[in-house]
Amino acid sequence: MVQAILDAISLGGTYALAALGLGLVFGVMRLVNFAHAELITISAYILVVTNDLPLIVSFIIAAVVTALLAVAMELLIYRRLRGTGPAIMLIASFGLSVLLQRVYELIFGALPKSAAIAPWMSGEVKVAGASVTISSIATVVITVVILLIAGYLIERTSLGLQLRAAAIDFKTARLLGVRSNRLIAAAFAISGVLAAIVGFIVVVENPQVSPMYGVNITILALVGIVIGGIASLRGSALGGFMVGVILSLLNTFLGNARVYAYSWLFLLVLIILLVRPGGIMSKANEMERV
Amino acid sequence: MSLLEVKDLYSGYGKVEVLFGVSFKIEPGKSLGIVGPNGVGKSTLLKTIVGEISPKSGSISLNGIDVLGKGPEDIVRLGLCLVPEGRQIFGGLSVTENLQLGLTGRKDKSTSKKALDKVKEIFPVLTSHAKHQAGMLSGGQQQQLAIARALIADPKILLLDEPSLGLSPTVIKDVFDQLKSIISNGTSVVIVEQRAHLVTSFADETLIMRNGKIQARITPEDAKDELKLKHAYFGSDN
Amino acid sequence: MEKIKNISGITRFSFIELFGPILIITAASCLIGFSSASLMLTVQFALCYFVMVLALQVFVGNSGVLSFGHGAFAMLGAFVSGLLTAPVRIKNNALSMTDLLQSIADIQVNLYLSLLIAAIVGGVVAGITGVFLMRLNGLAAGIATFALLGVAYNFFFNNTKFGPGSQALPGVPKFQNLFIPLLLALVALVLVYLLNVSSIGRTLRATREDNLAAPALGINIIRVRRIAFALSGALAGLAGAMYSHVAGTVQVQDYYLGFTFLTLSMLVIGGSGSIWGALVGTLLVISVGQVLLMMEQGKAIFGLSIDLPNGARAIFIAATLVVALLWRSSGVTNGKEFAFPNFKKKSN
Repeated sequence: MVQAILDAISLGGTYALAALGLGLVFGVMRLVNFAHAELITISAYILVVTNDLPLIVSFIIAAVVTALLAVAMELLIYRRLRGTGPAIMLIASFGLSVLLQRVYELIFGALPKSAAIAPWMSGEVKVAGASVTISSIATVVITVVILLIAGYLIERTSLGLQLRAAAIDFKTARLLGVRSNRLIAAAFAISGVLAAIVGFIVVVENPQVSPMYGVNITILALVGIVIGGIASLRGSALGGFMVGVILSLLNTFLGNARVYAYSWLFLLVLIILLVRPGGIMSKANEMERV
Repeated sequence: MSLLEVKDLYSGYGKVEVLFGVSFKIEPGKSLGIVGPNGVGKSTLLKTIVGEISPKSGSISLNGIDVLGKGPEDIVRLGLCLVPEGRQIFGGLSVTENLQLGLTGRKDKSTSKKALDKVKEIFPVLTSHAKHQAGMLSGGQQQQLAIARALIADPKILLLDEPSLGLSPTVIKDVFDQLKSIISNGTSVVIVEQRAHLVTSFADETLIMRNGKIQARITPEDAKDELKLKHAYFGSDN
Repeated sequence: MEKIKNISGITRFSFIELFGPILIITAASCLIGFSSASLMLTVQFALCYFVMVLALQVFVGNSGVLSFGHGAFAMLGAFVSGLLTAPVRIKNNALSMTDLLQSIADIQVNLYLSLLIAAIVGGVVAGITGVFLMRLNGLAAGIATFALLGVAYNFFFNNTKFGPGSQALPGVPKFQNLFIPLLLALVALVLVYLLNVSSIGRTLRATREDNLAAPALGINIIRVRRIAFALSGALAGLAGAMYSHVAGTVQVQDYYLGFTFLTLSMLVIGGSGSIWGALVGTLLVISVGQVLLMMEQGKAIFGLSIDLPNGARAIFIAATLVVALLWRSSGVTNGKEFAFPNFKKKSN
């Protein structure tokens, strides 16, 4: 039971981080970045490939490369598509996602690459009389810390203020001197670092990294963003968290029918969207803003 | 060399042309009104000046620097700030956060604190509502916040698009009084208004626009002549 | 007013706009299809994709509302038509079908009837889900339709009572010749064109949603979108069914993300505003894929043999999409319908 609760929270936290990364980018340029999945994947690949190095070094390399890839996406692709409308950018990000998957396949092979990352994390400890895995505790701690840091960054710093303002009304933000190119690049960089952290969390649990490694989590995080309310980063993170918790609970309680967990999740999503098209955090009749 | 000089400006949206050869200048510490009925290109003119849309031809220079091709975020840093139509304050953010955003376009960050204090001095109402959501302020307070937010960037020239929109006469008077003190501090002000009478007597010079062109230039002296004003505003055929 | 005047694509019936594409499809299919057996298969698949892209054009292209849910209707169409036509003997004996409901195992209908049923099922399900989904806009609509695809995939992947689950359904009869899929594609083309020039098509395009935020939807717009969604669902069902009769099998993975991505790409690359765009997009993506495949296999093309490493093909296809969007985000045809090349300067 304790393990089930921890699992739910850690899965929720992981999706919240992924959702936050997606939400940041959506906020500043109305882009639903499908290729966020490939950011998570590259982080996981690098952690596996550099497993011989000390964990912290390995992670720093992963974070830097992932952030650079994220910024490169913006500079090479998305910047040129700005102003073409969200649908075009969404399709482009879909294409970029597939493109990167194929590139990974060429570099790392189609078969999963794996390595025991932080093997000490798979051990168990006793908490409140029940034994739980170290990794689930570590995940909960990491996600809480990162969410707090992200919260501070967004709510208390000048960069965060600019990000929030740009998400509400980029035109006016620019009139006040917010530098659009730099701010968007910064949002991509932060989203890359968040993706790297997500990559780390998931690769510890599941070290079998293949080209489509990050797709599932990204899709679920996207679902989370939309049901949480894309209008705010808080809503995005909360939605991601909820999706993780619900999925984890469905897996625990559905028993043999757990193969249908996704169906139930998606049905729930449909219902939430029909009742609250702007997400749970939105006011009932508030429209999506752009 | 004028502070702001617009020369023979042609501009518009895509294939739709709106401005046909607009020229004017403004000197430091002066005020300029731009009036005309809805749809004559006043907002297009402002958007072109701040770099939101690029002109077809013509030139715009700020303190002798050619600003064509620069985006709004760069133009703010050159000392030109626009208070947009409808104020466009961030309703979900606090009053303080709105003001802090104004600091983004400031060149000299070391005196940010002083600038904040100074603006709050001009607009005392903002201090008492500092923590409130900006969306909760009244229309007049929002307009003051929008002007304050722009002033914080320390502009040499302030552009206002329809500042009187949706405000009651007494509030409008307050706002214009505050603009007067801003001008007396050495900042030039350009006010775009549909309601000509608000500006003609206020500004050192007022341009009357029609069909994307400047139809007439009048001084407060001319403005006393109602008939002349009407002719200029609506066209001589009226 | 300006906006209404500038509706992209067609507004009135034009002989050229319809018969140009018909001629091109027919000629291309016959010329390429009869040149070799493997190309014949490629052409047949291309025709299935084309019907799917037409289905997307009717709804996504005209309304501007993104839908990832059409894969679900195609999947449904494929399962319906595949299960209805697969021989009773196979369904009762195949290892992957031991759990199949007896009533399904014992039916077998004629190919043409099953295609019709698949289209009807696709249309009905799209019609029913559309009642709810069409109230949504922008991103919410995108995610909701994606959820639909997710449910369909998750269901068919795991359920062995209504299909082979994650395995392949064997023994689905194949089209005997090129003309059946060609005819079906032409029928779909004519239907879509007629719909596009009808008042429904015009209303849809007039209320196109090019950005995520749209003003509150009027009842009339929702109604028109529902109709278009149901019709495009029927076409997607037909496309899925056709695909199963070209492949000779039904496998749930064939109609999931890859399929959705590929068909949406075709629409966007060609230009989502017109049937001409749908055709150009399909042709372009299929040809690039085919040429690259032949290079991978080391075959000479126009006497030229370029050796490509395995896997390069997929990279090129994805790169083509991205580059095409960077080059011209409104698609190769710019959303215009077919017209003869006009070298004279337009008077307007």
